[in-house]
Amino acid sequence: MHELIEKARRSVDGAELYWKRDHTISVRYENYRLQGMTEDELSSVALRVIAGARLGATYGVNPEEPGLIEQAKQAARFGDEAGFSFAGKADYESVENYDKRSEALTSADLVALCERVKERIAEERPEIPLFIVAGATKRDLVVETTAGAAGRDTSTRVTLGFGAPIKGAGIGVYKSDASVSPLDLDPALIDEFLEWYGWTENKSTPKTGRLPIILAPEAAYLFLLPLAAGLSGEAVEKGTSPLIDKIGERIVSERLTVIDDPLRDGDPGSRPFDDEGVPCRRRPLLDAGVLTDYLTDLRTGAALGRPSTGNGLKRELFGGGTETRPNPWPVNITVEPGDTPYREMISSLDEGLLVTGGMGFHSGNYPQGEFAVQAIGFHIKNGKVVGRLDRTMISGNIYKDFKDVAAVSRERRLGLGGMLPGGPVPYILVDSLRVAGE
Amino acid sequence: MKERLARIVADLAADYADIRYEENKKTRVAYRGKRLELVSSYATSGGHVRVYADGGKATASFSDPGRVGSIADASLASARLAAKGRDRPLRLADAPVVTGEFPVSPRVDPLTVKLEEKIELLRHYNDLILREPDVLTSEAEYDEFGSKRLFVNSEGSIIEYELLNIGIFGRIVTKRGNVVQRVRFAFGGNEDFSRLYDRDEELMERVAIARKLLDASPPRAGIYPVILDPDEAAVFIHEAFGHLSEADGLQNNPAFREKLKIGTTLGREILNVTDDPTIPGHPGSYDIDDEGVAGVKTRLITDGVLTGRLHSRETAAEFGEPLSGNMRAVDAHFTPIVRMSNIFIEPGNSSFEEMVASIDDGYYLVGARGGQTSGDQFTFGAQWGYRIENGRLGGMVRDINMSGELFSTLRAISMIGSDLSFGERGGCGKGMPMQLNRKSGKGAPHIKIDRVTLGGV
Repeated sequence: MHELIEKARRSVDGAELYWKRDHTISVRYENYRLQGMTEDELSSVALRVIAGARLGATYGVNPEEPGLIEQAKQAARFGDEAGFSFAGKADYESVENYDKRSEALTSADLVALCERVKERIAEERPEIPLFIVAGATKRDLVVETTAGAAGRDTSTRVTLGFGAPIKGAGIGVYKSDASVSPLDLDPALIDEFLEWYGWTENKSTPKTGRLPIILAPEAAYLFLLPLAAGLSGEAVEKGTSPLIDKIGERIVSERLTVIDDPLRDGDPGSRPFDDEGVPCRRRPLLDAGVLTDYLTDLRTGAALGRPSTGNGLKRELFGGGTETRPNPWPVNITVEPGDTPYREMISSLDEGLLVTGGMGFHSGNYPQGEFAVQAIGFHIKNGKVVGRLDRTMISGNIYKDFKDVAAVSRERRLGLGGMLPGGPVPYILVDSLRVAGE
Repeated sequence: MKERLARIVADLAADYADIRYEENKKTRVAYRGKRLELVSSYATSGGHVRVYADGGKATASFSDPGRVGSIADASLASARLAAKGRDRPLRLADAPVVTGEFPVSPRVDPLTVKLEEKIELLRHYNDLILREPDVLTSEAEYDEFGSKRLFVNSEGSIIEYELLNIGIFGRIVTKRGNVVQRVRFAFGGNEDFSRLYDRDEELMERVAIARKLLDASPPRAGIYPVILDPDEAAVFIHEAFGHLSEADGLQNNPAFREKLKIGTTLGREILNVTDDPTIPGHPGSYDIDDEGVAGVKTRLITDGVLTGRLHSRETAAEFGEPLSGNMRAVDAHFTPIVRMSNIFIEPGNSSFEEMVASIDDGYYLVGARGGQTSGDQFTFGAQWGYRIENGRLGGMVRDINMSGELFSTLRAISMIGSDLSFGERGGCGKGMPMQLNRKSGKGAPHIKIDRVTLGGV
């Protein structure tokens, strides 16, 4: 138990220490040139207390810093009624989220990885302004409470991203990968990048109206983020979730099974406990399209009269961090694979879209399941990709339009795109979404 | 600390090294409707090291100042390794050695104002909003960021400087039937707490607009001549043009670098755009940047011609252009990047009345409402607006989005007002990882653009 928690016990009703230490190295290439390297050693602390039944929080650099308890107590004077207690003692499942080979990685190792990406792409595309970013982080996370929670976790995460803007388009083609263990060059990822980049040479405008859409794993957030917002105990508590009273009902196609799986070995998002020290568990959210449960943290759980599901994360739509209040989010959201090869999805379509991303997502009404974005991706005609989309809008409502899903691919990749990082997700072929030109 | 850090950079066998160490204080208070949602006041600290060696570069952020020696050594090794991955070495433009102190001196120092008083002032404004009819809810926030920084480099610069930025801002949300409207307000944007007092009247004007908007209609979609108010014009020049003035973004983007050569004509002779951290009292005002270079006024567009760019020492060397002092980091977790300070369109000779009189069929757009740019394409919202018909201001419009292409839109600026004014809330997001910088100011007079695409019905 950290000394700060021992000390807090004497002066407040409850306390929770969140202490994160990251050691990160990264290298960055721009236009095929090594632009720079970073090595960060950062520590940050959040202390929450309950004093006089009110909640207060303060932040700092490390737990030894003087004055943290007093500052948190002062914040509690103006704070809301807590309405919940901090997490108690619990046994945490073990999960493989640490690899000592990743901790041992050096900048030179990351340079070597980037050089291999660079050489492979330069063979075919020496003219594009390629950027590459590779990084490795070792994280020590401590979450301890006066109620007995004692979470200590060391994890590693290795990341690789690369891409290039498309001339005259204002957008680009990007690919990324992440793992608990050191990354190797994945030939399939490079091949897909080169194939997609090749497809951008021509613009092609689909007909307007309703068309079948293949969502690539990079674009899965267009479905998963509205879903996560609806599942959030916060939205349920406020009465704004469209999923209230829908547990046990089929809300999307039976082809879609969505699982929050924080205990999946080897995924960079896996972890034994959440940011409030509550044990993480593998939980189906949609079982063959049927809604099984909501996500709660301590606060929203208490408001709904139920325990936390271990989904309290210091996350926001754009980032978040130590100074962010915990909110219910999926920890490592995954979608079960289907049995259709992804190539067959493309060849099965007379006309359709392969969507790899979207612009303007956050200005849509996603908490209600709606999305309307400028689609980034490709136009498919007669079973073949004929060019890149240009100023094509797609829109829909996941609770209407994802009732009819024609196929789910057998291939899966980490859903690292957009604003909801998670575990592996497949390509999803939706029967039809609304497509409009500018 | 000062001497120790100075010795570390001086002793490092690098071409160049610097260390920035910061002690930061943040205070935030937020109301959502009647509810006091957040009261938070705390301090953090940390630092950042940059090393150039053999033409390669490495940076590091740290929390523990005791570790800075070994972190600087590791960065030196990384910079040497990075040099091997480059065919052209990175160089830094020469800059004067600076020693001295640059404190801020607010008329009323927010650090002397009690937290209770800050909460009370915010509650006062929030209550004013909530008691009006048609008001559904409010968002009101007090935000204070103070930073004491120490900068040392291997050339002998030792600088102690302060940044302080406070403000009250938020949104008024009105509702009638199914119609919901939002109007923003912002007071402050510099170091002086007294600027937050006695703003009731302006706030109530905003509430009145948010109510009137419930009866307004959307504009008809199409291409129109428009007048932008100073707020909307300032956001346009910041987002659509200003970011392309930042040399670090252009450095490795051959297509835009070609389009934006110094001497290129971008607009008519009336168009003058300047970036200036030295005018006091705005969100982006400062003496010295986070690379130890004094901020200077940079004329970006002069009489319609591109005449300047915003630089770091590295990009100034790369482009062969003068230093501008625009390298800034949000806090110790970040490496500095090139950022606008206070960017503004210089005042012209036209009056607002002349602009209105010159338009037969168009709109007057007021108040920025966010937007997105991608390359040279932009889309911005306006909070409200007015129809202009036959040289006269008409009824109010709402739900306005304008879009266009930067270069043709710059050329279409045909009248510029004499009424330059600056926004009281700074803010700008840039970088990977994203750095949200509140010390970013913008200003403009009213401007007329001959052709803009408006979304609507």
